Amino acid sequence: MTSAVRVRGLWKRFGQQVAVAGIDLELPAGKFIGLVGPNGAGKTTTLSMVTGLLRPDQGSVEVAGHDVWRDPVEVKARIGVLPEGLRLFERLSGRELLAYSGRLRGLPGAEIDKRATQLLDVLDLAGAQHKLVVDYSTGMRKKIGLAAALLHNPEVLFLDEPFEGVDPVSAQTIRGVLERYTASGATVVFSSHVMELVESLCDWVAVMAAGRIRAHGTLAEVRGDAASLQQAFLELVGANGRDAGSDLDWLGGGAAR
Amino acid sequence: MSTDVTGVVVRLKLSLLRNGLRQSAGRRAAYVASAVLVLLFAALQFLGLVLLRGNAHAGSVVVLLVAVLALGWAVMPLFFPSGDETLDPTRLVMLPLRPRPLVRALLAASLVGIGPLFTLCLFAGSVIAVARGAMAYVVGVIGVVLALLVCVALARAVAAANIRLLTSRKGRDLAVLSGLVIAIGAQVVNFGAQRLGSSGLGELDPASDVLRWVPPASAIGAVESVSEGSYGVGLLQLALAAGALAALIAVWSRHLTRLMTSPDGSTLQAATEAAVRERTSTGLARFLPAGRTGTVMERSLRYVWRDPKTKAAWVTSLAIGLIVPLFNALQGTGSIYFACFAAGMLGIQMYNQFGQDTSAFWMVALTISSPRDAYVELRGRALALLLITLPYAALVTVLTTALLGDWPKLPEVLGLSFALLGAMLATGAWTSARFPYSIPQEGYKNVAPGQAGLAWIAVFGGMIAAALLCAPVIAATIWLNVSEGGDGWTWLLLPAGAAYGAAVIWLGLRLAAPRTAARLPEILAAVSKG
Repeated sequence: MTSAVRVRGLWKRFGQQVAVAGIDLELPAGKFIGLVGPNGAGKTTTLSMVTGLLRPDQGSVEVAGHDVWRDPVEVKARIGVLPEGLRLFERLSGRELLAYSGRLRGLPGAEIDKRATQLLDVLDLAGAQHKLVVDYSTGMRKKIGLAAALLHNPEVLFLDEPFEGVDPVSAQTIRGVLERYTASGATVVFSSHVMELVESLCDWVAVMAAGRIRAHGTLAEVRGDAASLQQAFLELVGANGRDAGSDLDWLGGGAAR
Repeated sequence: MSTDVTGVVVRLKLSLLRNGLRQSAGRRAAYVASAVLVLLFAALQFLGLVLLRGNAHAGSVVVLLVAVLALGWAVMPLFFPSGDETLDPTRLVMLPLRPRPLVRALLAASLVGIGPLFTLCLFAGSVIAVARGAMAYVVGVIGVVLALLVCVALARAVAAANIRLLTSRKGRDLAVLSGLVIAIGAQVVNFGAQRLGSSGLGELDPASDVLRWVPPASAIGAVESVSEGSYGVGLLQLALAAGALAALIAVWSRHLTRLMTSPDGSTLQAATEAAVRERTSTGLARFLPAGRTGTVMERSLRYVWRDPKTKAAWVTSLAIGLIVPLFNALQGTGSIYFACFAAGMLGIQMYNQFGQDTSAFWMVALTISSPRDAYVELRGRALALLLITLPYAALVTVLTTALLGDWPKLPEVLGLSFALLGAMLATGAWTSARFPYSIPQEGYKNVAPGQAGLAWIAVFGGMIAAALLCAPVIAATIWLNVSEGGDGWTWLLLPAGAAYGAAVIWLGLRLAAPRTAARLPEILAAVSKG
């Protein structure tokens, strides 16, 4: 099995806080890979370093056999990225954004037009293609970001929280596109803190907490004997057995006061 | 329930004010300083108006002053929508309140603050300036109260009528442009005041003949009428102001009711807009070079027009770059060399290029994998800038020359302008790579907190460096002008300056490109703050 991404001894500190504390990880090619963990586990930091948007303090990252920092020409042409919490060029319309992104990557104009039209169609954005992205809803933004990330047909796609704040219909559309994409042999790496989603989508999972990888492997391996990934995850991060408690005994019952 | 809504709302306003000040010492200091400044200004104005007493044109000045203040009250809510939390009635929407007591309460709350106090000072001063006789003072008191209420109600009515606009994206875009209106307005007022200073207050009379019938200026105009013994006219002017007040309150009340019973503008689906404007290609792309260069140019130019922050910066640069040399030339005090000001102002747009991208810079960063990519990216941005700045700088230079009639100097000033523009773009490209900083997209600030020092280093260091870079051309200009027989050769400065500018840009881009390519993650981190 070849690996799409190989990470060795990856560290990142922000001041006193250690965001990523020495990650070693090999992500297999051609799989739908989920990077799961609670908020603040270091998922975004890890994905930013893997995609070359954040410089690690230590460690190396290889994508498709090329070092991200020493060989950016090879890597940047092979990856597609949808970051979380970063803007797009929002004063462009959806179609203009795709054209801009495609032309920056050196695709020919006619090819960009063809692919953009198809992507906009499949992602259900054709009706809004001439609207400025600044006026898009959260789901539409994720979809146009996904379209921009797919336009140059990358080998590996990195998506940071692609379903966060997305309505069920858009989520289903995104899912369909991603499933078709991985079926063709490409790799998708996405982060999420929604276990049910990861369980239903992924065939390979890495569990992160407090800047470290707690477990990784196929879904079945990580889940082990637990009833669900959620249960397995709670055991892994040691958050099991905490109850909401009986302190809120006044809550409910309808007697407003 | 309706016992004392007014009291509650006024107290709410006072606590909001107090809590706002409690948040930080800096804010408190800023508030106190601005309050002292405003009150000092008000006191000076008051004194000035009192001293105006007896002047033949006092009536005109006073009426005009009131009209200008009222205009200020009308436009203020458009530019500072969130300046006053109690001013936003949508925050009270969940409370069981009827429109009538609410209107009364909000009106009373609006009277609390520095703004109304300032206005009151000026109105009182105006009355003293024109009132003669006991009757006039009685009318004056009524007039001041009426005028103040009209101003406050006007601001409220405008705010209520536009709140849907103000809470929408378009409205926020508009607000960003407000600084600009103020900056350019200040220049125009400055120019107007200088003209007035040279030709006397009599110029105001025709305007004030009209304005003395327009509320709220009519309320103060009534004082003058009564002073002159025209009681009927005075009464009519007062009645006009009272009528306006009633009408404004009615309009405001109607908007308020509608506002409280319909959904908020910010939650309205943008898609429900009746006509979604088709944004088809403007044909711009056809004239631009192919590849990354054209792509970058097209996006830069689109942002000049579509992005409110970028647009505001551009319009300010364009306007000030034009106003300073032209107005100076018009007043006969200008030097032809002021025309270089346009090039300097416009060159500033090259600074902090990546900060203008905000965190969307990641899209650029992901497509730059070599110094060559970075060079093409920066060159595209510089070319987009030149497309506007080069003809504009030339135009301003020619206009200034025409006004001063100093045609023989045109070539050397053009040459200097081009050299300066080149130096600004070169230093701008380099500082964009070396000292990037965030530009917050909301509000009036152009620097994210904590990066002000960085911004100062970038812009001022860069400007000094640009001036130094121009030294050879400046030296050549001086030398040719002072040396005997040099006048015949000053035309050489045009091609020399242009060539020098182009060479400096090329060098600047060459130096900036490897730095950009090597610092992509650092630049992204710097421009993603705030």
